[in-house]
Amino acid sequence: MEILIFVKQVPDDGIEVHLDPAAGTPDTAKIDKIANAFDTYALELAARYVEANGGNVTVAAIGPDGTDSMLKNLIAVGAKKAYLFKDPSFEQGDEASTANRLAQLVKKCEAENGAPYDLILCGKESTDEISGQVGARLAEELSLPFVSSVIEITPDGDKLIAKQETDEGYIKFETAMPAVYTIAKPGYDPRYPNIKAKMAARKAVIPTFSAADAGVSEAPCYVECVSYTEPPKREAGLKIQEKEVADTVAKAMEILIKDKVL
Amino acid sequence: MATYNTLTPELIEQLKAAAPGHVLVGADINDDYSHDEMPIYGTKAPDVVLQAANAEEISAFMKICNANKIPVTTRGAGTGLVGGCVPVYGGVVIETTKMNKILEYDLENFSVTIEPGVLLQDLAEDCLKRGMMYPPDPGEKLATVGGNVSTNAGGMRAVKYGTTRDYVLAMKVVLPNGDITSFGAKVSKTSSGYSLSNLIIGSEGTLGIIVELTLKLIPAPKKTISLIVPYEDLESAISTVPKFKMANLDPQALEFMEREIILSSERYLGREVFPKKLNGQDVGAYLLITFDGQDEDELMARAETAAELLLDAGAIDVMVVDEPQKLRDTWATRSSFLEAIEAETKLLDECDVVVPIKEIARFLTFAKKTGEECGLIIKSFGHAGDGNLHIYQCSNDLEKEEFVKRVDNYFEILYKEAVECGGLVSGEHGIGRGKVKYLTESLGDVNMELMRGIKNVFDPNLILNPGKVCYQS
Repeated sequence: MEILIFVKQVPDDGIEVHLDPAAGTPDTAKIDKIANAFDTYALELAARYVEANGGNVTVAAIGPDGTDSMLKNLIAVGAKKAYLFKDPSFEQGDEASTANRLAQLVKKCEAENGAPYDLILCGKESTDEISGQVGARLAEELSLPFVSSVIEITPDGDKLIAKQETDEGYIKFETAMPAVYTIAKPGYDPRYPNIKAKMAARKAVIPTFSAADAGVSEAPCYVECVSYTEPPKREAGLKIQEKEVADTVAKAMEILIKDKVL
Repeated sequence: MATYNTLTPELIEQLKAAAPGHVLVGADINDDYSHDEMPIYGTKAPDVVLQAANAEEISAFMKICNANKIPVTTRGAGTGLVGGCVPVYGGVVIETTKMNKILEYDLENFSVTIEPGVLLQDLAEDCLKRGMMYPPDPGEKLATVGGNVSTNAGGMRAVKYGTTRDYVLAMKVVLPNGDITSFGAKVSKTSSGYSLSNLIIGSEGTLGIIVELTLKLIPAPKKTISLIVPYEDLESAISTVPKFKMANLDPQALEFMEREIILSSERYLGREVFPKKLNGQDVGAYLLITFDGQDEDELMARAETAAELLLDAGAIDVMVVDEPQKLRDTWATRSSFLEAIEAETKLLDECDVVVPIKEIARFLTFAKKTGEECGLIIKSFGHAGDGNLHIYQCSNDLEKEEFVKRVDNYFEILYKEAVECGGLVSGEHGIGRGKVKYLTESLGDVNMELMRGIKNVFDPNLILNPGKVCYQS
């Protein structure tokens, strides 16, 4: 099976982001850029699938200079091929325009891959914008079956069984191929590369295409971000520390009841 | 042995007047003040606690206590592992955690001046925001820096950067008689008489009370890469270390750990990080290595050279950790060993011995075998790069009295072996209350008398942290 995963480069989500006071936008210049966590879960899930059932995994990203390093890191942990799409026109847009561009890029990726993709994966959301829209919109653009928050994929003849995680438990869906799935956190973490894979990946040359190279036309944009606001700082908490643990709990309960929390 | 007086109501009133609003007495004293992280060495509550706000309060306290022969024990965050901050003779505890301000950066002189109660974690993070690094990196990030200085704490980066001692430029100290004085200076070398600051460093609060520290910083490395190196067993892992050191690859950290302790830590954190089976082989032990530097290509080249050496020497594989979240996960697993052991163990004790590097493998095998013979569960990890081993004795089944008896027997054998192979009693945790006997046996009478002589010069009434380090009871 041929699997394509769209990956977004995001600021390290372990670092607290603040607004640049002058620009009024998130100040991420000094924060390391990494692959979106949910996209790395998608890669690990895909890598495990092709190891068990055969096939190849391609990763593709839209991004500025430096995104090729991220793609090389992904080659070290299971991707066979990687494509980078870099163009000033890609830097602006909303979820609709991103999905529209990605839909157009699928054709370029397939041409470079020399084979069509049976499955297209995205993380269920990105850790920077967290809109969770792009995967669904991409499926709509491509008129393909779509399942969100998938944590397991199993083959079933010419169909796929996708296990979706829900608040209550799981739902299993059967879809035809090709299909678009978004991936939630499975019950495992992405692998660590070994040194051999890492060094080989560092030598990889990532094919890079502009909008014109990829044949991407202007994508419609419907939403404009007007401004960012930082959440108010949390007030200091109340420290309750009695000599006995039971007394501490009792005092905490008393305060919670008084404030009508309980 | 010194004799001490008890605190009378009149003396307590004097102390309260010396630091209004900052003195705890009787029922207001929390149980936390009676122990550190190793209660096996005994607990004892103080009669009075000063939550010190400044040097002047501490000075006033010391004048009263010295004149009345009241024992005084200094306490940071209470994260010590040898009972060092436990007031075994009662009296006064002076807590420094409220003195937690970072006072001044002098980046042209690569230094920062702080109060002693600043937590290691807070200092490290604040320095990084300025592009600087405070290199000492002990596992317990919630310790105070004053406590780190008092024990000369080491930590994971000591193999490259040295221990806390190497980063103390100057300090302000309250002496037992209440005098406030300064040792050291913001300079990079000195031949100016005895190094009094170096006497205070590692003295575990027995000579004076640190009230201000000026510390050396370095420019923060731009990039770090870690390698997880799995081996079939601990002996294979440790036997690689001398070859690794000889290759001059300048690791920032070079740690060893057994499979069991990784499993404990991963259970504790609820996250699986280290591989347990690779290439069909079960993993029995690991080396965890970090390189730091300014250039990614240069770092990767070093990592590749290291990997070739490690694989030739018997490593099952070499995993690369270079992404921020994976680095955090990997080192969180390493940093949680003590908490993980505590969570799964009813009774524990620890040996923080340091041995010559070539002796590590043999000593660990000896420690494990002896532990079994003594009827104890042994869990070990440590700093392979500098020979500092953390060997934990654990039990969930024994009664405390029996456990203590077995550990005493075990320690007698283990410390004797350590000293015979050229080692020392403590690499970084200190002597405190728990290891006085073994320090005395390993250093001998002459050296212990020299230490007591120094103690007498600083503290003729022996009021400061009695019962610790070289105290003769």
